Amino acid sequence: MSVEVLRLEGIRKSFGSVKALKSASMTLREGEVVALLGDNGAGKSTLIKAISGVHPADGGAIYVRGEKATIRSARDAIELGIETIHQDTSLAPDLSIARNLFLGREPVKLPFLGVFAPIDFPLLRQAASTLLKRVGISKKLDADAAVNTLSGGERQSIAISRAMQFAAKVIILDEPTNNLGVEETHGVLRFVKEMRAAGHTVLFITHNIHHVFQVADRIIVMRRGEVVAEQTVGDTDLLSVEALIMGVDAATLAEQAKVH
Amino acid sequence: MATVTERLEERRNWWQGLSASPQVTSLIILAVVLAGFSIANPNFLSPLNISNMMAFLPELGIMALAMTLLLTAGEFDLSVGAVFALGPVIVMLLAQQAGIDIGFALLVGLAVCIAIGAVNGVIVTKIGISSFLVTLSMLLIVRGTALYVTQGFPLKSWNEPGIFVSLLAGSFQLGPFKLYVSLYWFIGLTLIAAYILNWSKLGNWISAIGSNRNAAIARGVPADAVKIGLFIAASVLSGLAGMISAFRISAASPVAGTGYELEVIAMVVVGGTALTGGYGTILGTVVGAFMLRAIRNGIVLIGVPGLAFNIFVGALILVMLVLHAMLSKRGARR
Ligand SMILES: Nc1ncnc2c1ncn2[C@@H]1O[C@H](COP(=O)(O)OP(=O)(O)OP(=O)(O)O)[C@@H](O)[C@H]1O
Ligand SMILES: [Mg+2]
Repeated sequence: MSVEVLRLEGIRKSFGSVKALKSASMTLREGEVVALLGDNGAGKSTLIKAISGVHPADGGAIYVRGEKATIRSARDAIELGIETIHQDTSLAPDLSIARNLFLGREPVKLPFLGVFAPIDFPLLRQAASTLLKRVGISKKLDADAAVNTLSGGERQSIAISRAMQFAAKVIILDEPTNNLGVEETHGVLRFVKEMRAAGHTVLFITHNIHHVFQVADRIIVMRRGEVVAEQTVGDTDLLSVEALIMGVDAATLAEQAKVH
Repeated sequence: MATVTERLEERRNWWQGLSASPQVTSLIILAVVLAGFSIANPNFLSPLNISNMMAFLPELGIMALAMTLLLTAGEFDLSVGAVFALGPVIVMLLAQQAGIDIGFALLVGLAVCIAIGAVNGVIVTKIGISSFLVTLSMLLIVRGTALYVTQGFPLKSWNEPGIFVSLLAGSFQLGPFKLYVSLYWFIGLTLIAAYILNWSKLGNWISAIGSNRNAAIARGVPADAVKIGLFIAASVLSGLAGMISAFRISAASPVAGTGYELEVIAMVVVGGTALTGGYGTILGTVVGAFMLRAIRNGIVLIGVPGLAFNIFVGALILVMLVLHAMLSKRGARR
């Protein structure tokens, strides 16, 4: 069994009186693709926001490569090698594609100037266009174009290519194929496989179970703020996964399917 | 052959992009406004009048630079006009009444401005109250303080020359024009602000925060710290502008700068910076500052009655904003 990369133990998070996460635990290993499944409101996005530092957890522990980690901000997570593409927009629409791709980690000249250092624009543009080619966006995109001139799917592709470039240890994708066309969807799935081949760990949230069977090694199912099941993809089938998500018996589900 | 047409195409796109950009619109309108006034009254371009405009311009312009960065990050500051008064009032009080060295008095004045900006920034970012409400309250507090400590009277004039006076309000003759060193301050600060916004890492962060704060935070951008810094910059530059003004007219009045906050915000948005954040232009702000000063000055010269001033100023600002809105709609459809 390969090395453990990220382990969560009893992660809790409440928004006022709403207990979005009661106690979520899971382990991710090197070079595997894990699909995180669950119905709307199950707490998937909240869990990954806790890991990525956007909404730090109220309680529980996070271990990165076996060592206890404190994630209080997005910067903490990024420095630990955890890259996240959030479900809700993760781009600044007024900025150009290139500026978005490197937001927070702009390549600069004269780095001793700190935040006042000048951005290395030639490098920025060059890296941006190389990256855009890799995601396989059908239309040729101009790295200087503002993101608010792009379609929803194109924006999603940009956000994904941003996670690619820094080659993080763990890449988390929250419903990355939402709003994507056929070609872009395949681009994303191909990207997930590439990342696994390169030894990265991918946590992939989706409502599309077909995608799960195409790319995932394992599935983790959440319901009402808790992890309720973990399975290896080879040991299960579509119907059982759906039953797990809905919290019903697979046989019952099969019966229902027959009736309709 | 193909390359030639491609290049022509490129050039046309470039020109279209430029003419649709708010800065260029503002520049064209500024040229029209200047031409209109000088035709209506040739004295508008007389050395005396130009010198006059150039004396006022840097003081509001410096405030507008900081306001541009703040607006780009999605916040604004209504307390700048009051800080413009309180800064020099503190300096003059310390230097005249308490007999403290003028250099030290200036430092204390700037420190108070830093504190005001920091309080604005911390309340807006950490407690999450809108900058409109926070800085409106701060306006009352600061203006009230300036009035109370002076008992409402302007402080008597400061006529001792010295290094600081010449640094802030020295004047020199350039051909037929009498200019103040504050113009250098304005030029220097304009270059710094333009560099920060367009070329530095910080500028990328400022625009990103104004455009989509959550996205910026998710990339590890310290959004709160950046905003607090910008509030401090707005306060400090307003205090500095107030000191420049006070030394120039050698008096510090507790009611100086009344209404400047709106004038400054008008300069910034007339220049094309988005009031909603995400996009800012320093060049536009400089044009906007010129425009508002020229309009105020020109309106007097062409004989509009004093009480009718604001009708024209307001109408011209509206026209500018409508033009920007129409152009940016066209630009978005491209
Ligand atoms: N910022 C917030 N404030 C208050 N409640 C929240 C917030 N974010 C999430 N919640 C609540 O927490 C619960 C879990 O939400 P979460 O977004 O994690 O669900 P999800 O599993 O990602 O669902 P979906 O598949 O619809 O994206 C929901 O009941 C939601 O209403
Ligand atoms: Mg979600």
